[in-house]
Amino acid sequence: MTQEKQLLQAGNLLQQGHMLVISHLYKSFGNNHVLIDFNLELKKGESVVVLGKSGSGKSVLIKCIIGLLKPDQGRIEVFGENIPDINEDELDQIRAKVGFLFQSNALYDSMTVRENLEFPLRRHWIQVAQDEVNKMVQEALDDVGLAHTVDMMPAELSGGMRKRIALARTLILKPEIILYDEPTTGLDPITGKEIIELMVEIQHKYNTTSLIISHDMNCVKMASNKVVILLEGKCFAMGTYDQLKQNNDPKVKQFFE
Amino acid sequence: MPIPKTSKAFLSEAGDMARFTAKFFKQGFKPRYEVAEFMHQCFVIGYKSLPLVALTAFILGLVLTMQLRPSMVDYGVESQLPAIVGIAIVREIGPVITALIFAGKIGSSIGAELGSMRVTEQIDAMEVSGTNPFKYLVVTRVLAATLMLPVLVMLGDAISLYGSYLGVNIRATTSFNLYWTQVFDNLEFYDVVPSFLKSFFFGFAVAVVGCYKGYNSSKGTEGVGRSANSAVVVSSVMIFVIDLLAVQITDIFGFN
Amino acid sequence: MAKRLMDNAKLGIFVVSGLLFLVLLLYMIGKNRNLFGSTYELKVKFENVQGLMTGNNVRVSGIEAGTVKKINILNDTTIEVTLLIEKRMQTIIRRNAIVSIGTEGLVGNKVVNIVPSREPANLAVEGDFLSSQKNVDTYEMIQTLSKTNNDVAEIATGLKTTIQKINSSSGLWALLNDSTIPKNLRISVANIKVATGKAAGMANSLNELVSDVKSGKGSLGEILKDTGIAYNLNEAILKINKVGSEADSLAREVSELIDGVKQDINSGKGTVNLILRDSVAAAKLSVSLDNIQKGTDGFNQNMEALKHSFLLSGYFRKQEKKKQKAEKADSLPK
Repeated sequence: MTQEKQLLQAGNLLQQGHMLVISHLYKSFGNNHVLIDFNLELKKGESVVVLGKSGSGKSVLIKCIIGLLKPDQGRIEVFGENIPDINEDELDQIRAKVGFLFQSNALYDSMTVRENLEFPLRRHWIQVAQDEVNKMVQEALDDVGLAHTVDMMPAELSGGMRKRIALARTLILKPEIILYDEPTTGLDPITGKEIIELMVEIQHKYNTTSLIISHDMNCVKMASNKVVILLEGKCFAMGTYDQLKQNNDPKVKQFFE
Repeated sequence: MPIPKTSKAFLSEAGDMARFTAKFFKQGFKPRYEVAEFMHQCFVIGYKSLPLVALTAFILGLVLTMQLRPSMVDYGVESQLPAIVGIAIVREIGPVITALIFAGKIGSSIGAELGSMRVTEQIDAMEVSGTNPFKYLVVTRVLAATLMLPVLVMLGDAISLYGSYLGVNIRATTSFNLYWTQVFDNLEFYDVVPSFLKSFFFGFAVAVVGCYKGYNSSKGTEGVGRSANSAVVVSSVMIFVIDLLAVQITDIFGFN
Repeated sequence: MAKRLMDNAKLGIFVVSGLLFLVLLLYMIGKNRNLFGSTYELKVKFENVQGLMTGNNVRVSGIEAGTVKKINILNDTTIEVTLLIEKRMQTIIRRNAIVSIGTEGLVGNKVVNIVPSREPANLAVEGDFLSSQKNVDTYEMIQTLSKTNNDVAEIATGLKTTIQKINSSSGLWALLNDSTIPKNLRISVANIKVATGKAAGMANSLNELVSDVKSGKGSLGEILKDTGIAYNLNEAILKINKVGSEADSLAREVSELIDGVKQDINSGKGTVNLILRDSVAAAKLSVSLDNIQKGTDGFNQNMEALKHSFLLSGYFRKQEKKKQKAEKADSLPK
């Protein structure tokens, strides 16, 4: 009964354009309670930045969403499916529609750029023809402006280029949601800015929904329609960049100084 | 009685490794099978290790023969040199030395590779890309190592025996035919089969330890180095432990 | 793609070559154990298989021809051994071939030897029983050898003691070694000859004396006309004559002996031979020496008797005095 109800509810939310609904999420590592009753909703086309200090559990949150970590309690509904409940095959189907840009890019060192890009394609849709694959790789690389690197190894690329390739790899499956884990960390401000511009561009081009984890105010300012401040495991504050900037709470204020 | 901290760490690691091995069997035989990656790993683990194994095996055969000769001459059984070297190589030295070289090369490379993949989130990325990283990385490598080491051991044996043939010919002259007849005449099935079978276990142990250490590598480049190092150390020790067990088991079955 | 194909091809070569060596290894071993190729079975009954095991080699006239397939105990005195023989031996092994169990080397594996008999017979076929030969096994051989050894040891000790005895009897060795002995013997013979000669001379002069006395010449004749004295004298002369002849034969014997000894010493062929021969010679020698002793004793007795005869007592007393003087002269300086 309750499950049906929940499904109904999720359906309703989906109809309202909710791509991602997180409710009452708890996650702790031993005695370290990282997430305590965290709630978040993400509508289609939205770009939400989760702002928080290092070690505040932002990465844990994003890994819970993609199913890399299992939450202790609470629901994470992506396209109406509760991630902790579904089996591996269903999870794979969800993951095909959710892009994830890793903080360290996570490009496969042993593969060329092309193989890196082909990897998720082949994994999710084995029966794609080679021509089709080549076309998609080309398109994704064009999106990030690095078509010429197709046969290079990741080790030969600079940090910014690697980030772009990683983004291209995320884009190749045309995901509906892209999760960005600290996209500008480890990059110089200028390159960081370029990446953010690229993210915004892609957002407009494919009308994707974005969840960005960051502590880079530049990124927050440029890429967000909504900002969530993650503090002490809770959704401490929520609003647009401008709204939060006006907020007088000292704990919020410290992010904007 | 409180368990000392180091023993506790050791025991919990042993338990983790056992669980990791169990996971291998649970996941390894369920579809989907990563055939292409398995072939690639066979190529990397087997074929690419051949030059190193061949070189060490050749030198070993040659040196063993030259070292044994004076004693054999002392006992007046110089003519039995091919027989004794053949038995030593096929029964013990071939599998164990090849496995040790293999542990040094493959164990450490698996440990370092998976360790760095873990540290740079490549394993997570694989999982997100709809790939079971355990199947894609661990199962393929363990299977490849398990199947390739016996092949390497066989080729190593052959090359080692050839080295030994040259070693015999340094001081005396033996025809190739006589040498091989002497070697094969003194070999029995129970010399070849147990040593062939135990090399599967050597390969399995090396890959499982390497994968375990890499897969559970701690964050940071230091963690990767430690994974690679302990993969080699632990798998080398495992090889000797398995060797001991193998000799006991063959003894129980009366194949010695 | 092409690279991957190449890689797979290399991998294929690698794996195939490894497995080929394994197969070769197993095949060679199997070939040595006759696992492949066509074979047929022959059976033999033994009383004792002396530790033969399944898998041991079977040889036909020394050529590897098969292996032992099965060893079955039929009852307490019969063991049936099934032999797996290569087909090529089918035209070689006949029914009357003799089967025995031997050892490779002195301490090696057991091996079944099939030795063809010289008599004609049909070829042995699958399942035929061949006759076995109770062969000398190493243990028995060693036992026999040890018995033989003991005997040899006994003989050796006997020989040793004999040789030691010969060695330690300095007299014999001196006799054998000393080249002066024959010389001495010769001298003694010569002495005997001289003694005999002298005895003969003495007898002659006694004869003269007697005839003078008989014819009553001089005062001495008168004195000696007494018949008692005449009888005594007669007896003495007879004895002297006898001694003379005895001494003659003695001398001959000794000279013969010396010739024998000389010959042996000169033609010494092989130690044992020499010793054995010499020991015979030595026995001969000692007998001869005994005889000589006896003869000389007899001669002495006769001479003693002569001494007591008053006629010659003066002469003998002089001799005695001379001897005593010589003895004194010998003992004085000491």
